[in-house]
Amino acid sequence: MIKKALLEVKNLEVDYPYGTEKITAVREVSFTIEEGNVLGIIGESGSGKTSIALALMGLHDKAVETNGEILYNDEYLHTLSEKALNKYRWRDIAIVFQNHLDVLNPVMTIREQILEAIKKHLNLGKKEMDKKIKELLKMVHLEEKWCHAYPHQLSGGMRQKVLIAMSLACDPKLLIVDEPTTALDAISKEEILQLLEGLHKNKKFAMLLISHDMYVIQRLSNKIMVMYEGRVLEEGVTKDVLENPMHVYTRGLLDASLDINPYQDLWGIPEGNKDEETAGCIFQERCYQKKESCREKIPELQYVSLERKVACNRGGIITLLEGRHIHKTYGDGRNPIIACNNCSIKVRSGEIVALIGQSGSGKTTLATILSGLLEEDGGEVLFDEKSVLGNNFTSRKKGIQIIFQDPFSATNGGFTVEEIVKEPLDILKSDTKEEKNRMVKKALEEVQLPITKDFLQRKCSSLSGGQRQRLAIARGLVMEPKLLIADEISSMLDPSTKANVLRLLKGLQNKFGFAMLYITHDLALARKISNKVYIMYQGNIIEEGSACEVFEKPQSDYGKRLLGV
Amino acid sequence: MKKKRKILGFKQYIIIFLCIITLNFFIPRLMPGDPFTFLSAEEGQDHTAFSSEDIERHKKYYGLDQPLWQQYISYVRNLLKGDLGYSIHYKEEVLTLVLSRIAWTLSLVIASVLLSAAIGVFLGTISAYYRNSSLDKILYSGLITLSEVPSFIIALVMLFYFAAHLKLFPLSGGMSHFVDFSSRWEMIKDILLHAFLPLMALTITRIGEFYLLARNSMISILDKAYIKTARGKGLKRRRILFYHALRNAIPPIVTRIFLSFGGALGGAVLVENVFNYPGVGRLMRQGVFFRDYPLIQGIFVVMTLFVLVMNYTADAIYKKLDPRVS
Ligand SMILES: Nc1ncnc2c1ncn2[C@@H]1O[C@H](COP(=O)(O)OP(=O)(O)OP(=O)(O)O)[C@@H](O)[C@H]1O
Ligand code: SF4
Ligand SMILES: [Mg+2]
Repeated sequence: MIKKALLEVKNLEVDYPYGTEKITAVREVSFTIEEGNVLGIIGESGSGKTSIALALMGLHDKAVETNGEILYNDEYLHTLSEKALNKYRWRDIAIVFQNHLDVLNPVMTIREQILEAIKKHLNLGKKEMDKKIKELLKMVHLEEKWCHAYPHQLSGGMRQKVLIAMSLACDPKLLIVDEPTTALDAISKEEILQLLEGLHKNKKFAMLLISHDMYVIQRLSNKIMVMYEGRVLEEGVTKDVLENPMHVYTRGLLDASLDINPYQDLWGIPEGNKDEETAGCIFQERCYQKKESCREKIPELQYVSLERKVACNRGGIITLLEGRHIHKTYGDGRNPIIACNNCSIKVRSGEIVALIGQSGSGKTTLATILSGLLEEDGGEVLFDEKSVLGNNFTSRKKGIQIIFQDPFSATNGGFTVEEIVKEPLDILKSDTKEEKNRMVKKALEEVQLPITKDFLQRKCSSLSGGQRQRLAIARGLVMEPKLLIADEISSMLDPSTKANVLRLLKGLQNKFGFAMLYITHDLALARKISNKVYIMYQGNIIEEGSACEVFEKPQSDYGKRLLGV
Repeated sequence: MKKKRKILGFKQYIIIFLCIITLNFFIPRLMPGDPFTFLSAEEGQDHTAFSSEDIERHKKYYGLDQPLWQQYISYVRNLLKGDLGYSIHYKEEVLTLVLSRIAWTLSLVIASVLLSAAIGVFLGTISAYYRNSSLDKILYSGLITLSEVPSFIIALVMLFYFAAHLKLFPLSGGMSHFVDFSSRWEMIKDILLHAFLPLMALTITRIGEFYLLARNSMISILDKAYIKTARGKGLKRRRILFYHALRNAIPPIVTRIFLSFGGALGGAVLVENVFNYPGVGRLMRQGVFFRDYPLIQGIFVVMTLFVLVMNYTADAIYKKLDPRVS
């Protein structure tokens, strides 16, 4: 059933005056809310969410410039005078402002403040008004005695309820809700969410829900709009967007959300340093798949699939590495061991993919083929849409690096720390000596190893397991890879060193934004760090999906057994 | 409400009152001159009509021959009994004298403060709403300038222009004497006509104070989130401005009204003398001129009491008006 559009917004722009200049807080924002639907707006602080809400109700100060079309039920609200708008305010479109002490008038009682909206818009007798107020308070589970209280006598949660009761006083068709749960403890937050859920179900109003809390959006909205610095970067059906974000920024927001990713550490999106106003994509300083063209071209919000729009010159998060139908057999013809059988795997940029499975399931073989260091018998490997052949991507910067478990212990234990880290650069022959020394030191610093002369000259064999693992990471990092393949790098480490090394790796991944294919048989670890999971069993990939999906409800029998679900 | 006034308790007011009456006792006694030099002298003339025996007798009668501390004790004792003493010049109870005049002064003071508050708050609210417009700028600079001019200067200017030059108002006094008013209304009209210029002089200087207070608090209040909430409800601008916003500005304004009575009283003393208005101000001038200690002291005590009661009321009312102070 197609619902009727209640509110249509086209090319909304909001400019705040700032001295003689102006700050554009919202630009080129368009959306539609159908009757009874809930559109969620999510975005970091300052991305312009509240500015949109105020613009819809015409509540910006005179000095603030708003442009664009706001069509509500066949009426162009942006053309109306303040007086004409007053008819629509609260009666048709009401708002639950972001909850703080000041949103309610401190010298008026709760009752008085709810009542004045009713008086203004509804033609009710005194008795009916009394009844209405009682109903409203009951509806939000607030005792009647509170109606004679002043705002400062209420707790944050109670105030939120009052705000909700007040907003529904005239049964609006569209309710704007701005950050309904900030500053509330977990229990009150849940209560408010349930309340909103219930009210929405009963009263069937449409809702514009603003929050920077993914969980709130997930619970209440059907559609979602992801905002960054006043622009919409991604838009789609809430469930789809949360399961499969297409914009680098959206994924960053999801990674930073505790409620969506209860098993993972929180990693905010790294701050870019924006010293000069640049043209092109607004997200480029923080984007790790940007291209030269992103500097000039402003990406348009475009459909990438039926119900999904993304504003990115590269069409959203790109697939960095793709293995297609990879086949590998060891041994001779009579006694073949099939290590990889028709394995297809994808790693998108900036993503951590875990490849799990028991020993001997073919994980290392697949990883080595993907890096190009081992030749496949069948299938192909593409990196950034080009074929991986031999060491063409491992021997260059911004390519692929692979780290093996404790690589220097046996073979090249005689090398010094400096030699180990510098070797890839030496082979590359593109940097001067000073440059190389600087990069070596920087890489060592990044992995929190000392950079003293003494340490640089130490023999590898004299380092501890944890130090050697860090050294291996440093060696990978000097090449500034876009994809890091890590094969069981933590299995030999004691738990505390393991935690440190992983934390370090995840931090580096977050900072530099490289993608990672992480091979492990440590399930808890995989759950903690990965966005996506592949399960391998006897040379076949038998299960794949987002980390949540796979760990919560694996589909394959082996997956269920392995994960004990 | 940026500067929160420290709210004093009742006890503190009693202590302040005691300090002031003590000062009140000593200051006139430290002034040069002596009442008997002037006791029977006419204003402006300076000759003595008392023989030295007379003076001695009078001093004895008024207790002025006693040691200072004894004078002080009896002064306080009488005060507590409500006895403000006996005027040397008018030869009458000071209390009776003051009471006969105080109605003139208090009506001037109260009317002028209320009037200036009403005008100032109204203009301040308008100014805050249209802040930075040319209307705001004109109001602001005009009223600030006016409030810098002392009330008696304004009084003099008005006296010369409206009363002497244009002859719109009587020159002096509180009402016309030796006239039979045909009706009560005629009499009231006459009294109002006489009061008009002094009232205006006192009002004009105070408008700026209320204007500034109202403008400042309204500017910060109009930025508050609850004003957006009120606008969101679709309420009329008038209601938002004069109900939602002004109600939040009212507590400091009402407090200021009560605090202003003291200042206005001081102004009234001078202005009354400009217009020869028959209030306490004129009485005081006579008192000072004739070194009539009991009269001066009596007036001081009454004024002090008035100011303190007003301050106390201001505090009490502030608590009532703002639900957040408790
Ligand atoms: N009154 C104002 N004057 C000037 N700039 C403003 C004003 N209000 C907001 N801004 C700017 O507009 C931008 C968007 O602000 P807005 O309040 O809409 O963000 P938001 O997404 O609601 O953030 P939050 O999640 O913190 O509530 C910010 O850069 C902010 O600094
Ligand atoms: S790839 Fe380019 S257009 Fe896309 S988000 Fe990154 S910087 Fe913006
Ligand atoms: Mg906001």
